Parts: sequence; C-alpha cells; structure tokens
Amino acid sequence: MRRRDLFGGMAGALALGRRAHAACACMLEPAQAAAPVPASPFQDVGSKVRITGMKAMGVSLTPQSDRPYVFVKLETNQGLVGWGEATLEGKAAAAMACVNDFGQHIIGADPMQVEHLWQSMYVHSFYRAGPVMGSAISGIDQALWDLRGKILGMPVYKLLGGPFDARGVRGYYHAVAGSREQLLKLRDSAVAQGVSCFKTGIPGYYEWLERHAKIDRAVRQLAMAREALGPEIDIAVDFHAKPSATVASILVKELEPLNLLFVEEPCPPENVKAMARISRRSTTPIATGERLVASYGCRELIEMGVVDILQPDINHVGGITALWKVGAMADAAGISMAPHSCEGPIGGLATLHVDASMPNFLVQEVCSGVAPRAEDKIWQEWLGFPAMRMVNGRFPLSDKPGLGFDLSEDAFKKYPFAGTRAMARVFHEDGSVAEW
Amino acid sequence: MLRNVALRRGRLAALQASAAPAAAREPGLEISELTPFPVREPVSGRSYTIVRVRTRSGLTGYGECPGATASEVAQALRQISGMPATSYEVLAGRLAGVGTLGAAVNMALLDIVGKAAKAPVYQVLGGPTRHKARALAPLAGDTDAVLVDSMKRAMTAGYRAFLVPAPAPPSRNQGQAWALAVRKRLDTLREAGGENTDFVLDGNGRLVPGDAATAAAILEKFHLLWFDEPCPLVSLGAVKKISEENVTPVGFGRHIRSGAGFQDLLREDAIDVIRPSISLNGISAIRRMAAIAETYYVAAAPYHDGGPVATAAALHLAASLPNFFIQQIPLPETEEDRRMRADIAGSSVETVKDGFAALPTGPGLGITVNEKALEKSRGGAA
Repeated sequence: MRRRDLFGGMAGALALGRRAHAACACMLEPAQAAAPVPASPFQDVGSKVRITGMKAMGVSLTPQSDRPYVFVKLETNQGLVGWGEATLEGKAAAAMACVNDFGQHIIGADPMQVEHLWQSMYVHSFYRAGPVMGSAISGIDQALWDLRGKILGMPVYKLLGGPFDARGVRGYYHAVAGSREQLLKLRDSAVAQGVSCFKTGIPGYYEWLERHAKIDRAVRQLAMAREALGPEIDIAVDFHAKPSATVASILVKELEPLNLLFVEEPCPPENVKAMARISRRSTTPIATGERLVASYGCRELIEMGVVDILQPDINHVGGITALWKVGAMADAAGISMAPHSCEGPIGGLATLHVDASMPNFLVQEVCSGVAPRAEDKIWQEWLGFPAMRMVNGRFPLSDKPGLGFDLSEDAFKKYPFAGTRAMARVFHEDGSVAEW
Repeated sequence: MLRNVALRRGRLAALQASAAPAAAREPGLEISELTPFPVREPVSGRSYTIVRVRTRSGLTGYGECPGATASEVAQALRQISGMPATSYEVLAGRLAGVGTLGAAVNMALLDIVGKAAKAPVYQVLGGPTRHKARALAPLAGDTDAVLVDSMKRAMTAGYRAFLVPAPAPPSRNQGQAWALAVRKRLDTLREAGGENTDFVLDGNGRLVPGDAATAAAILEKFHLLWFDEPCPLVSLGAVKKISEENVTPVGFGRHIRSGAGFQDLLREDAIDVIRPSISLNGISAIRRMAAIAETYYVAAAPYHDGGPVATAAALHLAASLPNFFIQQIPLPETEEDRRMRADIAGSSVETVKDGFAALPTGPGLGITVNEKALEKSRGGAA
C-alpha cells in the first residue's frame, strides 16, 4: 500500500534522531483507533498526527508588565505538545484572541504541514497580517516547528540544515551604563565573558527637527561609549525610531567615525523611502525590521538597497517559517540578519535555531545585560537551564528535538495573566506625542 | 389634483430640507457681510488686510490675508453669502481663485464656528495636540552686528530660535568669501546667543541651487534647525540636489499655495520642513498640506510675515496639527509697530516665553479685534 510505504520512509527518517525514536515510534503505527484521522485530501501523503488542542496563555511576570508573555501550546493525538510564543508588547489580549481565532485552521490539522498551514493562516485571513495577526501566526508556527522537530527527532536547526557554526550563536547584550567609569567596567566584564558586542540606545527623544544642543549631546555621548568600550568591541546603536528621517540623517552621518556595527531603526518603519534618505547619505550601516511582518514586509527595504542588516522578530514576523524566508531573501542581496528578541524565552530559543541555519547570520539580540536580570532566573526555573545566557559570547545550541526544551503549564501558575497594559507614553516639552 | 400638487410640494420641501441640513440646524450662521480693513504698520511699512465676516445672527469672525481688492471682496461675498459659516471647507473651493481672500475668510469662518460652539478653534479641529507652540523670530539687519542686536531684543522678548538672513550674494555665483561670510554670521550669532539658541538660515530664494548646496554642506555640523528657501523653486531635479548632497535640513514653501506643490517636493526627498504661509493659505488648507507631510515624517512650520490676527490663526493651527514644529512670528523692531499690533488684537497673542508662544484660550480665535485700531492704522492694499 502507498500508505505503508510512506510510513516506512518516515520511520527511516526517524532513526536519525536517536533520542526521539522511542517517544515517536508510537505515533507512526498505522492503526490509531483511539484517535480516528478525519478524512482529508492529504490522507495518503500526510502524517497520522493531529492537533487536538490549542491554548493561548498570558503570563505576567509582574502585574504591571506591559508585555505579558503570550505562549501558545499545541496538543496532539499522540501526546506530544508543541510550544510557541505570540507575545505582542502592549497588545497581549488581542494577540491571545487572534491565536484563538485561528482555531479552525489548526485544530484537527496535521502539524507536519507547517508551510501549508502558514499559508492558510496568512492567505485565508483575507486581510493581510499586521502585528496582531503576525504575532498570532508566529506563536502557532513556532509550536508547529517544535512538534515537527519532536516528531522527527531532531532539533529545529537541523531540520533547517544547520548549524553553520557548531560553537553556537553569537549574541549581544544591552549596555546598561551611563558614565565612562561604568562603561570601562562593562568592557572588563565583557572581555572576561567573551562578549564581543553591545547595543546601546541613543539618548533623548527627538522632535521633527532638532536643536543643536540635543544633537551635539547625543553624538558626544556615543563617542564616549566608543572610547570607553575600545575598538575591539562591536557597538550597535538603537535609535528606536525616535528621530525623523531628517534628524536621523544628521545623527547617522556624524556617527560615521565610530564605525558602528549598525544603527537600528533610524526613523519610523512605515516609509521605506524615508529610511532610504538616511542610508544613502551615510556609510553607517542601517538595520531595521523588528516591527515588520512576513517576508512581504521586508521586500521593499531589500530591493531598494536601503538596509545593511535586517532584524525581524520571530514573535511578530510569522515565526520560524517567515524569519527563515526573510533571511533567504536578504542573503541574495548581501544583507545580514540580526534578529530582534525582547520578549519571552520561547521565542528567544526558537530564534536561535533559525540563526544557526542562516548563512548570512550576524548576531542575535537578547534584552538582557552582562549581569543576569530577574527574568533570567525565572526562565531558568521554568526550563531547567539558563535560556538566553551566553557562554563565551555565544548562545549554546541544544541537541534535544524540536525547540529543545520541556515545559509544563504549571510553571506559569505563579505568574497569572494580569491583563493588557499600555506601553510607554512619552510626550515632548510642549505636550505633543513623542516617538519612544 | 390640488392634493397631488400639495403632496409634491411637500416632498420637494422635504428634499430641500435634507439637502441643506447644516443651514436648517444652525439658523443664524449664514454669512451676510464681508468687510476688509487694510492696515499698514507705521515704521516697518508692513501691510496686510484684516477681514471681518458677519453672520445673519450678528456673530463676527476675523481673518487676515496680504491684501484684497474691492472687486475681489465683492466677488468673494457673492460666492459665500447665505452659506453657513460651518461650511468652511466647502467655501474654500469656491474662493480658490479670488486672490488670497480665501485664507482670510477661512480664519474668519473658523473664528465664527468656534464662537458659536464656545470653543477655541483648535478644539473644533480636534486639538489641542500641544499646550504651547515653539516660536521663531525673524531677525532684521544687513550686518552681523545689527543682527546680534536684533537677536538680543528677540531673546529679551522670550525667543530662543531665530530666522537669520543669509548675507546678500554679491553676484550670480558665489565663491569662498561668501561661503565664509555665511559661516561667520552664524558662528557670531551662536556665540552671542549661547548653546541654547537655534537658527534657521533664510536664503530667501536668492541663491542658485549649487551655491545653496555649498552653504548647506559647510553648515552640516553647525546644526541649523533648517536652511529656508535655499534657492528658488526651479525644476525639482535641480532643487533636490541640495538634499541629495548633504544632511542639512531644507525648508520650502512660503509661496506655495497647493498641497500638490508640497507633495512633489516630498516625493522627491527635497524637503525637510514645509513652510506654507498662514496668510496665503489659511488654517484648513495648511491642515491638508500637513496631512500629506505627516507620512514622510516631515513637520509644518508655517511662514508668517503678516499681522496679529494671522498669528492667532497660526497658533490654533499649531495646536491642531500632530506634526507642527515651530511658528514664525513677526517681531516688531520698533515700539510703534509693536503697539499697533497689540492695539489690533490684544497684547497676549504674540507673547513668547522661554521659546514658546502660549495658546489663545478664548472661543474662536481667542482674540478681540479692535476695529477702532484698524481704522486708525488704515493703509496698504485695499
């Protein structure tokens, strides 16, 4: 029978993953009387695994958190579960609702068909994905990849054909230091820990046009950071889309002598031409992408030659599937990938798998410092290992199947969802709305 | 038969009522009079025309434009007479060809709408988007020394940002001497004013694009707020060379009277701040221009070289825009001119403190226009 042949092939593939073999063998038995597979045009070519449940759960580390984690858990008729992250800062409840809105796409589906299901979520939604839908698709997509890896007995980076560097994934912490003394201390601890790169923010908030004193202060402060951190450590500067293209053009040009690794989001991301105005008048490398959804959202930036580095966020861009595609498109244009990551540990770990599998990967962000934060301790409690902490300047890769961790819902009981909280609201001296 | 006629008339009346709902709901706001008051400042000789619009109910609103002829006033009144003041956008189209009166009528109609609603114009327009408005003082003088004096007077008056005339170009194309004179003028002013003074260089449309680009380049690290009217608005291809070659922000628009004019400059990446004149365009038209600029992350900084009524209108505009940056306010160089402006619209409207103008707070434009003072200063184009 054709079906038997297919199973034979699958079992053969499975033998590659030693650890998962025992766990997965049951799933590929031909008879699954307990969980009948619904009739499907894919029944002769798909797997027997079916998604039987999907949960979106909000996790607030503190009641005031503006970015409760939104985790997605997929359950299957085989007992395996997959985890993903759909955290959307400031819009937690909307992201959870949107995950649930995809229930009809996902419940009863074959998790092996991740590419097919991604297309169905994106295309059949009719309205193209913005950040809410992008985050929901991201969470579901990561959980599907986690399941796929577990079913096939391989870590996701191997499913993606990696790793390019067996030592792990190069990363950077945020430089939390104001004074020259603090920066000098930071350099010492970075060197001791093998950390090769930092990111810092540009000081201040910016109006449409800017005053001499403010521009001058920002440039001097960043020059001081370069001087204190020394020439060996790479420095990236996050503008966080605070300036207009006009003001950013001035700043980016004056920062040229610092030879920054990149300037991130020099102006707001909706207008690609505006960002092009900045990049074509300076040699400072330009990075952007954390607010973009799907490879469609990055196409114009790439083809217009606007950016040097792309930074999609695996929790918003559309998960592993979309992040990998952006990477492939960027590679053809000589553009490097430095994915954004500033949410929970699931998206963080998922992004490492894609990082390890992209030829044009540069460096991975984590919103932490050389000294661990409170979150790092909580993540370790949940996962049993120090997720998103670097060893010798790199995030280690796990050999475990899927995304590489086991997690129980019970872990989150101490951190119940405390509702959506608005993100920062910043205003200028005259009371008008400021980008932050 | 008679019954049918009565029925038809009834339906016709109902149709007419539904076709003019604003007039039906707000009896009394129909426009009945339009009166110009041309005035001239005694020392500077700056002239402008204040316009009064009166409604059937007796409400009055004031606006301002550079000037209006008697035939333009008559033509405008024919276009707007009997229409409700609330239809200020409808009437903007009708007045598009009538000199610059449309700007004055727009301010006056919004003044009336605000007074009828007992709300400042910026509340009628969805604001306030800010609680004070950054102010820009144009300096007057031919030499660096005179400009320093002018700046010090403006600093005493509360200003921290200044529009500085570029040294007059001695010939069609300039060389090193002129370029150095530009830099020296600005360095002199910053040294005299301190770190917290900021400057806009006014090219006044007198330079060729190549010289404008040279000046913009040597001023990149000076951090001008922007370089205003660096060259005449000749072909876009020539104009955009300035901002392709360097990062000094450039502003254009004191003569532009259409959103399309700004859209072309924005599309070509040739402009960093739009400078529509408040007294050429009025409030509503600049709101439309600013809406275009918003998607390019470009702000509006309306040009203003007129009188105090337009200043009030500009401040309401500033408080109704998200992308407002700074308002130019003519700074009288003499006590006589200052007193005349204060007599017309009150002294509070052009009061600046720590670099910001306070917003008017009363209904409409928030000013009381003194018609006796208008008569006393009569002059200028009628």
